[in-house]
Amino acid sequence: VLVLIRSPLPRLRALLQRCWGQLERGFWPGVFGGQSPPWGPALAVQSPALVPQGINDAEAPSLLESVVWMAAPKQRRTIEVNRCRRRNPSKLIEIKRNIDVCPECGNLKQKHVLCGYCYAKVKEETRLIRMEIYKKEGGPLKAPTVETVVLYEGEKPTEKDEGKQIIERARKRPSWFVQ
Amino acid sequence: MRLSVAAAISHGRVYRRFGLSPRSRLDLLRNLVTALVRHERIEAPGARADEMRGYAERLIDYAKRGDKDERAMRMADFWLTEKDLIHKLFKVLAPRFQPHPGSYTRLLQIPNRDGLDRAKMAVIELKGNPLPPLVRPRRDSDKTLLNQLLKGYRQDAQRAA
Repeated sequence: VLVLIRSPLPRLRALLQRCWGQLERGFWPGVFGGQSPPWGPALAVQSPALVPQGINDAEAPSLLESVVWMAAPKQRRTIEVNRCRRRNPSKLIEIKRNIDVCPECGNLKQKHVLCGYCYAKVKEETRLIRMEIYKKEGGPLKAPTVETVVLYEGEKPTEKDEGKQIIERARKRPSWFVQ
Repeated sequence: MRLSVAAAISHGRVYRRFGLSPRSRLDLLRNLVTALVRHERIEAPGARADEMRGYAERLIDYAKRGDKDERAMRMADFWLTEKDLIHKLFKVLAPRFQPHPGSYTRLLQIPNRDGLDRAKMAVIELKGNPLPPLVRPRRDSDKTLLNQLLKGYRQDAQRAA
């Protein structure tokens, strides 16, 4: 190993020569004994990114700063307290006191609402009447320009139904359909 | 004197909000009015039926002016999307409601819708329609106290006369 020591200071040069001589002979306990020194011509790379030391140090303080404090219960709520909250009258379902019996059919109905059974009856009859009207119209967008009257089996138009369009329904007049 | 109009406060606002925009709300109500004039009895969600009632009655008020009236014809043209109903409005509904001063529709609540939403539904109908009646007017029974007293009074008056 040829080492060229080109130091301008003579003292430094002498020191370096002595250290190198000691290394060569193996008197330096820090290096492997008897083996060739590890130093040789090697590539010296200036790369702070290869040994990132600073990032680990920088992370620890930012963890403590970025934490968000949130509310959490301190104690378990006992079952007694829970029961008081869950069964408070404001949370219970209100009982309805406006339910009555329909005088026509006897089903239950709310006082301000039409009876469901009676309304279903009327709706079905209305649907059948509308089917007859549609058959008479013969097509879409042909609304008649005269009033309509519905007559059941065995009924004749009176003088009140003079200029009206007559819709025939092939059944007996229901008791609840009074003119 | 309106000092400021806060967007979040709606004190005194009478018109409900429907649909995607004010124009969409008018289109929705217009469809309902057209359906009412065509079928004379329709089922709709309670709020829409209530909102539509005012527009339908004002349309009939316009129709009562007669079809020669320019404003009445323009109103009917806007509000009825199916144009054969304009004839029905002026020739059938206007004469039917001529003797009445107002309130041409009847609004009743029906049981909640059967679907998942259980929406509050109402049925709105034009009075005097040829369809079967929704509610039969019930007279009080003769056995009530007031009716018995009135019956007694009538008998006494007859005996005296």
